[in-house]
Amino acid sequence: MSDGIRNPVVKVIFYALLILWSVSVLYPLLWTLLDALKDNEQFFLNAPWALPNMPLIWSNFSYVWESYSFNVYFVNSLVVTIGSTLLGLLLSATTAYVLARYQFKGSNALYLLYVSSMMVPFILALIPLFFLMNSMHLINTKLGLILVYTSSVLAFGIFVLVGFFRSLPKELEEASIMDGASYYGTFFRVMLPLSQPGLITIAIINILNVWNEFIMGTILVNDPVQYTLPVQIAVLQAEMQYRTEWGPLFAALFIIIVPVLLVYIIFQRRIASGITAGAVK
Amino acid sequence: MSTGTVKRHRNVFIISFIVPTFLFFCVFTIYPVLQALYYSLFDWSGMSETKDFVGLGNFTEMFNDPIVWRAIGNDYFLVAGKVIGIMIIATFFAVALTRFKFRMAGFFRSIFFIPNVISVVVIGVLWNFIYNPQIGFLNGFLSLFTESKVDITWLGFPQHTIWMLLPPSIWAGIGFYMILMIAAIQNIPASYYEAANIEGAGQWTQFRRITVPLIWEQMKVSILNIMMTTLNGSFVIVWIMTEGGPDNTTQVMGSYLYQMAFRQYHFGFGAAIGVLILALSLITTVVLQRLMRHESVELS
Repeated sequence: MSDGIRNPVVKVIFYALLILWSVSVLYPLLWTLLDALKDNEQFFLNAPWALPNMPLIWSNFSYVWESYSFNVYFVNSLVVTIGSTLLGLLLSATTAYVLARYQFKGSNALYLLYVSSMMVPFILALIPLFFLMNSMHLINTKLGLILVYTSSVLAFGIFVLVGFFRSLPKELEEASIMDGASYYGTFFRVMLPLSQPGLITIAIINILNVWNEFIMGTILVNDPVQYTLPVQIAVLQAEMQYRTEWGPLFAALFIIIVPVLLVYIIFQRRIASGITAGAVK
Repeated sequence: MSTGTVKRHRNVFIISFIVPTFLFFCVFTIYPVLQALYYSLFDWSGMSETKDFVGLGNFTEMFNDPIVWRAIGNDYFLVAGKVIGIMIIATFFAVALTRFKFRMAGFFRSIFFIPNVISVVVIGVLWNFIYNPQIGFLNGFLSLFTESKVDITWLGFPQHTIWMLLPPSIWAGIGFYMILMIAAIQNIPASYYEAANIEGAGQWTQFRRITVPLIWEQMKVSILNIMMTTLNGSFVIVWIMTEGGPDNTTQVMGSYLYQMAFRQYHFGFGAAIGVLILALSLITTVVLQRLMRHESVELS
């Protein structure tokens, strides 16, 4: 079989393009780390691609972590991300299971309603959500953000998990019911563990989305103590116009990138299968 | 147990699994969407006492506002630029990493997806630094070839600054669509390509005759997805990089909505922009689907 590229010149060019794009992706990450170790002087005197001078300014990290309260924002982001992911999983898995396995009046219509809601641009709901949260006294609270982020995962979660539950064999549930388990026992002890791959996929995608989310975070929170990381990064960047602290800014970027990068490295395959499942609407 | 009890147990189970999620969905998704349509009919500064019904007044005002037209133009500019840029590059990489049998294909694929897991806020800040007039990468690079130091304000042109937002948007989008394309290509039966090889068809012919027609559905989904996510979310990159400036020239619908509502307290007007975004994304979906259906008939 003579597959692949035969012409060596074309092959070299294609390889070069692949390597070039890899560099364009990896270099900014490396550069973020290197620039986080510079002081202001080096930003103005040296070329942007210059390596940081010795000694490296590792204190930029502790500086943003403490003086810029990144320890607080980090915890805020963590709480909001985990909270919305768990609540989102619970609410979407229960409904997805029933929609996948039980027929009742309006079950198809309900499924279509959830799926078609993915077509509505969420920015439309921005203003009403602000006033809704305001009337519920949930502005400037992590709970408010958790509820809004949970609602944003529901449709996608239900869509993917319905497909997942349908792909599981029915015999397992029948056996469980035969053994005298209740509907709830069957769901929590048999079906939920079996659907773990699907649940993890939804969880990972939600974690990435919520950790990185900016718009809702900036609208529903205006008390700096409750900021999430992306919101604080934006604030920090805006402040750079008056106060130039480039090293700490890059240290801040690095702090927000590292956790998602780790999640990505560990769960690569799940992420790929998740976005493929979600896009075949 | 009698059949009646079984049935009751079953119904209780169904209700307890369906209703909480549905209530949640109604409160945080359906209600806000309906409220948005309602608010768009009022002149409203955010305080309940001063909500005046103006009917379609916000929409008339909107269509007489040159910034709205510019925002629509910028949004569609980004849609067009991203569709062209992302589809060409992502398809090329997807084909290269599947059909061309390169070594380390898995490695490249993992690397290329990385920008998609990074916050758009971070991407915006990084690209701001590339464009920074004093200490930025681009000017530093150009200065290597000139006698005097280059100090172009890349994000401050009186016109066309929106072009500067295209590279970060494309850069950030490639990986996601490449993964979709790769999945589609891997679904094509290998026998098709084997037959083509036996008949001596080259890579380009195979791409045109086999790959494109068979991943066309996935390409359509991708194009629609790029369009929707851009109209819906172009706001973030714009807000981080230019805040809609200079002089509103890079305003997109989302950023103008934010500015009118949360900076200038014209909540009714802001809601009307939201309705405009909804209407345009639905219309564009229908139009694109028509156009691309035509295309797929020609190809097959």
